[in-house]
Amino acid sequence: MMPILSMIVLIPLIIAALILLTKTKEQARFLALTGTVIVLLLTVYMYFNFDSTIADNQFVEFIQWIPSLGISYHLGVDGISMPLILLNAIVLPLLIIFTWNDERKSPNKFYALILATEGAVIGVFTALDFFLFYVFWELTLIPLFFLVSIWGGPNKHHASIKFFIYTHVASLVMLLGIFGIYFAAWNLTGTPSMDIPYLLAQFQFIESGIAKDMIFLALLFGFIVKIPSFPFHSWLPDAYTEAPTAGSVLFVMLKIGGYGLFKIMLPILPFTASPNLMISIMAVLGSVSIIYGAFLALSQKDLKRMVAYSSVSHMGYVTLGAAGLVSLSVSGAMFQQFSHGLIMSVMFMSCGIINNATGTRIINDLGGLAQKMPKLAVIMVLAFMASLGLPGLSGFIAEVSVLAGAFVNLPAYVIIALMAIVITAAYHLWALQRAMFGVFNEKLGTVLDINGYQTFSMGVIAILILYFGLNPSPVLEMMLTSSEQIVSLMAAMGV
Amino acid sequence: MAVEDLAFLIPLLPALAFVLTFFLGKKLPTGGAIIPIAAISLSFLISISITLKLLANPEMVIHQSYNWFAMFNIGILVDPLAAVMLSMVTFVSLLIHIYSVGYMSHDKAPSRYFAETALFTASMLGLILSDNILQLFICWELVGVCSYLLIGFWYEKPSAASAAKKAFLTTRIGDVMFLAGIVILFSDLFKIFNGTIPEGVYILRFDEIFTHIPEIAAMNANILGMEVSHITLITLLFFGGAVGKSGQFPLHVWLPDAMEGPTTVSALIHAATMVTAGVYLVARTFPMFIAAPDSLMIVTYVGAFTAIFAATMGIVMNDLKRVLAYSTISQLGYMMLGLGIGAVIGAEAIGISLFHLVNHAFFKALLFLCAGSVIHAVGTHDMRQLGGVAKVMPLTAATMLAASLALAGIGIPGTSIGTSGFFSKDAIIENAYLFGETTGTWIPYVLAIVAALLTSLYIFRLLFMTFYGKPRTNYGGHESPASMTVPLTILAVFALFFGGLTSKVFNEFVSGTFVNNFVNMDINELATIGGYHLASHGHHHEPTLILWMPMIVALAGLLIAFLIYGLKVVNMDSLVSRNNAIYKLLYNRYYQNAVFTNFFSVKVIYEGLAFAGSFIDRGFDWLVKWTGEIMLEAGESLRQFQTGAVQNYATAVIIGVSLLVILVKVVMEVL
Repeated sequence: MMPILSMIVLIPLIIAALILLTKTKEQARFLALTGTVIVLLLTVYMYFNFDSTIADNQFVEFIQWIPSLGISYHLGVDGISMPLILLNAIVLPLLIIFTWNDERKSPNKFYALILATEGAVIGVFTALDFFLFYVFWELTLIPLFFLVSIWGGPNKHHASIKFFIYTHVASLVMLLGIFGIYFAAWNLTGTPSMDIPYLLAQFQFIESGIAKDMIFLALLFGFIVKIPSFPFHSWLPDAYTEAPTAGSVLFVMLKIGGYGLFKIMLPILPFTASPNLMISIMAVLGSVSIIYGAFLALSQKDLKRMVAYSSVSHMGYVTLGAAGLVSLSVSGAMFQQFSHGLIMSVMFMSCGIINNATGTRIINDLGGLAQKMPKLAVIMVLAFMASLGLPGLSGFIAEVSVLAGAFVNLPAYVIIALMAIVITAAYHLWALQRAMFGVFNEKLGTVLDINGYQTFSMGVIAILILYFGLNPSPVLEMMLTSSEQIVSLMAAMGV
Repeated sequence: MAVEDLAFLIPLLPALAFVLTFFLGKKLPTGGAIIPIAAISLSFLISISITLKLLANPEMVIHQSYNWFAMFNIGILVDPLAAVMLSMVTFVSLLIHIYSVGYMSHDKAPSRYFAETALFTASMLGLILSDNILQLFICWELVGVCSYLLIGFWYEKPSAASAAKKAFLTTRIGDVMFLAGIVILFSDLFKIFNGTIPEGVYILRFDEIFTHIPEIAAMNANILGMEVSHITLITLLFFGGAVGKSGQFPLHVWLPDAMEGPTTVSALIHAATMVTAGVYLVARTFPMFIAAPDSLMIVTYVGAFTAIFAATMGIVMNDLKRVLAYSTISQLGYMMLGLGIGAVIGAEAIGISLFHLVNHAFFKALLFLCAGSVIHAVGTHDMRQLGGVAKVMPLTAATMLAASLALAGIGIPGTSIGTSGFFSKDAIIENAYLFGETTGTWIPYVLAIVAALLTSLYIFRLLFMTFYGKPRTNYGGHESPASMTVPLTILAVFALFFGGLTSKVFNEFVSGTFVNNFVNMDINELATIGGYHLASHGHHHEPTLILWMPMIVALAGLLIAFLIYGLKVVNMDSLVSRNNAIYKLLYNRYYQNAVFTNFFSVKVIYEGLAFAGSFIDRGFDWLVKWTGEIMLEAGESLRQFQTGAVQNYATAVIIGVSLLVILVKVVMEVL
């Protein structure tokens, strides 16, 4: 069998290096598209050969690497990672097509960084060894840092450094957690291992309750900052807003924080010394993020910043759903990651187009754009509706699953989340009303509608939002399988 | 192939018409109106055939269910309640679509209009057909978004864009309550099943929900020190959704503003595809309401209060469409009242309420289409500028008169002579009387009677001000084309005669909704769960005065309107000063707009909470920066090691990690 996971991780990285050697924009974008399409085809092949009825890791690759430290090259996918790989594989080629006719300095570096991010992110989703996991985890930082600091907006330096330091500090705390579990297991068994499934299984045998809680909290901190969740979100609005459109979309694809929650946190949660405390922490962070992000989005004057805050609000569902510990809520939270990736891609693409076409993103300075940009208006209204959780679109499936599922165990937190729904609708519709509808603001000058490439990529994602809203099963089935396994573990422990 | 196998096509055909019209409409004449018209015609034919079939076999139910995801399903359910609604919606929507061909002929985007109205109709039909509460909610929201798109159809008008947003947000407050009800219901059923749902059981399907009513009723929640049964809580939350959608007090504020869209859209919203959804929701989940008498009591009072509250505002409005909007709110109040008295009369309440819903759909669609006809010809909807329109538009005026008589409920008690509205409104008022007799609370009855007086007053005021007398301005105008007047005539026939012809069959048919092979509910048993007993059936005889009361007040209203606005024996301006406090209160709609929109949404939510949030957020940001600065100062001494080139961070990371490994290793060794 061919090492398909190695291929989808390494091909983008190799092609990224090749793109650096190209001289023209045409060569760079062609290579980038080729690379991402190959990844897409391989992922689709993998998807159709994936058994969604079992929760085990599939397509596993295992090679001993540094045996003395217990480090190995261990890759695999399960129902948690498969949909996220699929999300990246689908959106990346569309992102390349979206930027097809853009003019920018050093296009070869630009496309190389995009491909490098793709490889690193998929690497995180496939790594089954903590060493590998951490390397890919940190590797995602670097290309994104450069994307923001080279092609970003006016405050790019501030935003990129803030993002880098903030999330890097969080990664180091997470690393402490990894070392904690690594050395504890080493002490217990006498053999070192960085293997993720092995270490997660060893966690329960750690004797010290304080050690277990500390490890859990350290890992949790690393993931929560990446999600990001209130109150560790303040890097996000700056980074998302200052990034170029492609960078913002890549940020949205960076679902590694939530992934860590499902893959690493939930399996060890029942074995911590105080599981109920941990659940409460997650539930508070999730529900507060939802309502806090919504209020902050309402107060924004910049369209892109509003979308960035709405992202904080939406990601709160991921944390809340994970804390809900009912298979419906956990799979709903996983689905939220997938759906949010699709929806936010279109939202950020819309923001980028408006900024390019009019020279501003200040909502009150826009107005009546729908008259000049009818195609954008249709796609944007659909994306906004999806983002505010309209049934029939993918966001609703995730939200209703999280809300209904989490209510079983966490009714009070769900009520907080419910209160945010009207606010969420309000800022979306109000922004649409001021930016797209009403009288056209003549000061904006000549405004052209989206081009064919942009229409294609945004259109395809919009159709996927609709498709998964009507038929979530193609990805939800495997999520349900994985979450049922997690939840049955909890039930066995009496949590 | 039997016609019941085609039931799934009823919402699917208009949905398909939406897609086709959206993409192809621009290339076709009249914006591709023929596509939705053909699709809805077929849906209508299927609906009416199914209704006739069900009428012949009262036990029969059409039910199909398919797995959707997790423990949820998608399905269609046609019982008498659904069949009647389907037939009404497709019929009224079809006539409005035909009428729209003429009405929208001068618009620049008719294809978008017809695409959206097709989707609007499809969503409503999907809502009616749902066999589970989740699917109903989904279609419920789609109805909401279609109304948003259509109210804001002329989006370049700021007032239209604003009204669309207001409609969506106000109804969304209700929707969140509805969703909360579903969430609680799900969690209750999940617990009843102990978390393991057997394969093939869809827990939000109506039969599953109704089966578990006793267990849900046994669960209690403690809210502010009060023990509330979950069944009461859930039904109240569902009713909250209905209050938003069906424009009941206090969430009615969006409906009068919703007239910013084309008048045909108002006709759709007010008659067929939107506001009736709330009444339908309560009727659809009626077994739950029967087991929750407190909820039914609230339904009764909210309904009765809304009926009179909206009617008072109806009598002072000067805008043709606004009067009709308040009229709708008021009439929906009657329908809710009709459902609420189910606490006394049981399942019969659904028949009574639905009968008024259907009759109202005919005459309210007609009223709006007549108003549209006037606006189309004359170009204004300010009644103060109109008058004497009957001379230029005789057919429109005649149909308007028919609709007004139906709305006022003119007829002869004790006989089968009367307009449609007469039969259905009378039934509600009579049962409100019975409610008073049984429970000893007469407030709903009194409110309903006074509202009937006001109804007659405002509609005949409108009629006299607009159609009779002398023109107040020089507006020109002409009778509308046949594509508009034919639907008017058909609706007029229904507004006049439908009630009289069907009153006996209708009630019995619809009231039997919950006794069939899908669900078989014993209403008396449900009442026992709620801790009360339904009034014993049997013929009740009201005093003759009570029998004639609705008729007397309707005629009184007509007379007052005739004296003031027809004969002008009293000059309204001298009678009531425009500075009169009550007039101002009514004209400013009880200042609800000021409180809701200006104070609550803008001041409290936007300027208050949202900006407080952004202030707090700056605090977090500052905290991060401050932490960073401390680090920076600490690092100041190490500055010479720092190259400043960002690329070196990556190297630093690797070195740092290695150092950390060593450090931790040493620590572990020591331990």
